[in-house]
Amino acid sequence: MAEKEVDERSLVRTATTTTSDEVPQNLETLSSDTNPSHIEAPLPPVKEKKIEVLLKATGDAPIMMKKKWVVSPDNTIGWISEFIKKCIKLGAEERLFLYINQTFAPAPDQTVKNLYDCYGTDGKLIIHYCKTQAWG
Amino acid sequence: MANDREVLREIWEGKIPVCFQLDSEEVYELQAPDPFYLMVPRLSYFPLCTDKVRKHFLRHVQQDIQDKHEIEMWLEFNGTPLKWHLPIGVLMDLYHNDIQLPWNIVVHFNKFPEDVLIRCHNKEVVEAHFLSCIKEADVLKHRGQVVSSMQKKDHNQLWLGLLNDKFDQFWAVNRKLMEGTCDEAFKYIPFRCYTNEDKYIQRLIKPVNEEGQRKVLRHLLNEVFPDMDQVVVRTHGIVLPLDTPLQWLSEHLSFPDNFLHLVLVSS
Repeated sequence: MAEKEVDERSLVRTATTTTSDEVPQNLETLSSDTNPSHIEAPLPPVKEKKIEVLLKATGDAPIMMKKKWVVSPDNTIGWISEFIKKCIKLGAEERLFLYINQTFAPAPDQTVKNLYDCYGTDGKLIIHYCKTQAWG
Repeated sequence: MANDREVLREIWEGKIPVCFQLDSEEVYELQAPDPFYLMVPRLSYFPLCTDKVRKHFLRHVQQDIQDKHEIEMWLEFNGTPLKWHLPIGVLMDLYHNDIQLPWNIVVHFNKFPEDVLIRCHNKEVVEAHFLSCIKEADVLKHRGQVVSSMQKKDHNQLWLGLLNDKFDQFWAVNRKLMEGTCDEAFKYIPFRCYTNEDKYIQRLIKPVNEEGQRKVLRHLLNEVFPDMDQVVVRTHGIVLPLDTPLQWLSEHLSFPDNFLHLVLVSS
């Protein structure tokens, strides 16, 4: 039983050749995914194996020029939220909602590592963000 | 399905005696107000059962703080702000070694610790958090199919059952979330395993092995902590026997948010 879990995880991690991405929300999302800038990690260096996250705008939320980021596994959802707010120049008063699987909003103290281990697909974690509650 | 109703009842009725006291630096009058004693349900969240505490102490703090609308009360134990978004019983298990009953908690209205606590302006914030946890748990158990087939009034009933401490109201809906799939088991067990007060581990763990045999708590702990032997966990104040079947554990000892909250016991 323990082996099976390991098998599944390694399957997920090695499936980098698959082209299947999640259905893009719109054309902009698709086109900028081809931007090669995601190869470089812009965030402070950390020792552990980093995790690729894909940030997708939903509803009326502004789209980010760069959607794929590599982050430390210990980073929290609260940290990601602040990061997106800065990127899309959201005011301090404005709220931002983050969703996993287009289903639930993870708690701000939840880590990227936990979410990737449970809900990661094709070697990355997809996070949707919007300015109003979407799948509340 | 959760059949052992007595166990569910017993877990539901778990309460903790708490002694709330206003932070001495926030006392405005010559004399500190009396402490406020309360029995709080383990399964609830602090913002849901501390209205009276707030009312009791707010009269005794500086006028300009009283005048602020929606002034947020926050709680502290032993110098650490208490996370309201964790069920009270989980906080109790996390600080188990340091707590003597009644549990002494310090009440604050000033200097909200932005970097540690999530803002909680009203109970709707708790409701959104609670329902989001239930949705996540159902994604793990049933690919989210049960919760998404429910109506708004069912979600409401779960929330009101918790808010008003109504066991029957809550379980009339929650039983549907606790039903297994065709082979009577969940896809994955929703759990969080706390290694300390700030960190928990969440992984995909199935309740049965490849041969279809049911797995027990020992298997889960081996998968989550492969490098450690003799891992022991506590939940609802109970140190769990390692041979407890995972499916049974999930159906009976999950918190109302549908997650098992297991706290690593330091040896």
